[in-house]
Amino acid sequence: MPFTKKLQKFNATIRTVELGTGEKAVKLGGGSTFPFYTFDGPTANPAKIGIEISDMGLENEPDCIKAFYEGCGSVAEIAKKAASFEGVDFVVLKLEGGDPNGADKPVEELVNVAKEVSEAIDLPLVVEGCKNVQKDAELLSKVAEALQGKNVLLLSAREEDYKNIAAAAGLAYDQLIGAESAVDINLAKQLNVLIKQLGVDLGKVVMNVGSAAAGYGFDYVISTMDRVRAAALGQADDSLLMPVITPVSSETWTVKEASASEEDAPGWGPVEERGIDMEVETAVACLTCGSDAVILKHPTSIATVSKMIQALS
Amino acid sequence: MAKFITIGERLSTTAPTVNKAFLARDPEPILARAKAQLDAGATYLDVNIGPAEGYGEDLMKWAVQLLQSNFDNVPLALDTSNKAAIEAGISVYNRSKGKPIVNSADAAGRIENIDLAAANDAIVIALCNGEGIAADNDERMGYCTTLLERGLSLGLSEDDIWFDPLFVVIKGMQDKQMDVLHFIGDLTAMGLKTTGGLSNNSNGMPKHIRPIMDSAMVAMAMMMGMTSAIVNPNDLRLMETIKSCDIIRNDTLYADSYLEV
Repeated sequence: MPFTKKLQKFNATIRTVELGTGEKAVKLGGGSTFPFYTFDGPTANPAKIGIEISDMGLENEPDCIKAFYEGCGSVAEIAKKAASFEGVDFVVLKLEGGDPNGADKPVEELVNVAKEVSEAIDLPLVVEGCKNVQKDAELLSKVAEALQGKNVLLLSAREEDYKNIAAAAGLAYDQLIGAESAVDINLAKQLNVLIKQLGVDLGKVVMNVGSAAAGYGFDYVISTMDRVRAAALGQADDSLLMPVITPVSSETWTVKEASASEEDAPGWGPVEERGIDMEVETAVACLTCGSDAVILKHPTSIATVSKMIQALS
Repeated sequence: MAKFITIGERLSTTAPTVNKAFLARDPEPILARAKAQLDAGATYLDVNIGPAEGYGEDLMKWAVQLLQSNFDNVPLALDTSNKAAIEAGISVYNRSKGKPIVNSADAAGRIENIDLAAANDAIVIALCNGEGIAADNDERMGYCTTLLERGLSLGLSEDDIWFDPLFVVIKGMQDKQMDVLHFIGDLTAMGLKTTGGLSNNSNGMPKHIRPIMDSAMVAMAMMMGMTSAIVNPNDLRLMETIKSCDIIRNDTLYADSYLEV
């Protein structure tokens, strides 16, 4: 009996969200198949990679990352350098210095850093807050205002602060919104519904449905991504048809596999290689389960994952 | 699995306002009723113009174009015994949001509407009855088979034949209700799609009772696998029941605001 190829067709398409402006703008999402299922249909927009930098400069970075930025005197210079690495599609500025329990930098200072970075690069920009709900509500709203016209993505609006952030980013200043939920498929959908009910165009929303390093509750993360994509396409659920972005480096570089020194873990091999491995393995699993973009840090990881995306898309 | 499909029934000549508006080609009352149904969550709108002898073609074209141009090519069920009017409606119909539905064929005088749907790549509602209402499920299944075979032989996909078991009125045929529900289960087991005029069951009941009875009926029918129904989408209790059953059937992902989307 001859083999008849049966394609898995969905009557739904993930929204295409354009990040940034001009020639270097990137398109996230747009797919109507499971990730890399090129046998079911063409890949709309191959997955994208962002490189993570911080307002704290290189202060908190591992030595192997510092080496790549030698000679950079400001965050803007770091941003410029970051944007030049092979495979980088956009830059992610983390404003971690805003954390009231850390450096507690004032909002104005952080907004200025965001402006400097935005002016230093021509790649699209994603700005991540400091994870403190009160501070982020003000900080990300001010960043949205200061970077009007740049079409930046603000990470993230959560259940606790979406009203401020989504209203500022999506309604007042025409930026993109990252809707963040922590490994909870029902909340992922609910947050999108709430953001829509504010009057925000769902075409401006990108989801972060949760993140973890491989081996650290990661099976929940990827099963959430899997189920989000299956429900979005399979049920043609408008409240779930948005691209997914996943911060990877912020999870993988702190776990012991990536950070334990060679003296402390003599049998584990070189610390830099371990860091890269953790980052690549986590990123690849996220991409195959439905992330349309991942955020990484090490240039070697980025080049590696970028090659994989090109080969499989 | 797909979400339950609701076909809004409120654009019908049986409603005097609608009848008058159809005859006068007065858009306002038609658009108001269409909007109310779509806002309430209807997927398809039924356009029942009655037999419309002599003017059905013109009227159906007018209605299809009016509704689709005002509501982003909303998918429609073309409901009339006038075959020429259905064909005229399809000739101006935009399929971007879904195929037109031919409402309806049966296994007796209206069997040729199967042919019409096949010739026009449309969906057809196939009533499982002949002359008069079937006495039992064996008879219903006989009609179903006749309709299915005719459709398939003409190249219709079985997904495009939506079988209507014919809901019967509780006040008078209370002992037949479970037959109808079991028949829906039989059709589901055959992999077939189902629809029907759900509110027939509560005909003649007091106004405040009907939404309660219709909601119970739709829940039981959905348990049997029913895929669609012709309903009044402005019956809030009914629509909330359908959305809740969609969640229980795992056809929609749950979120706290599921009733609002």
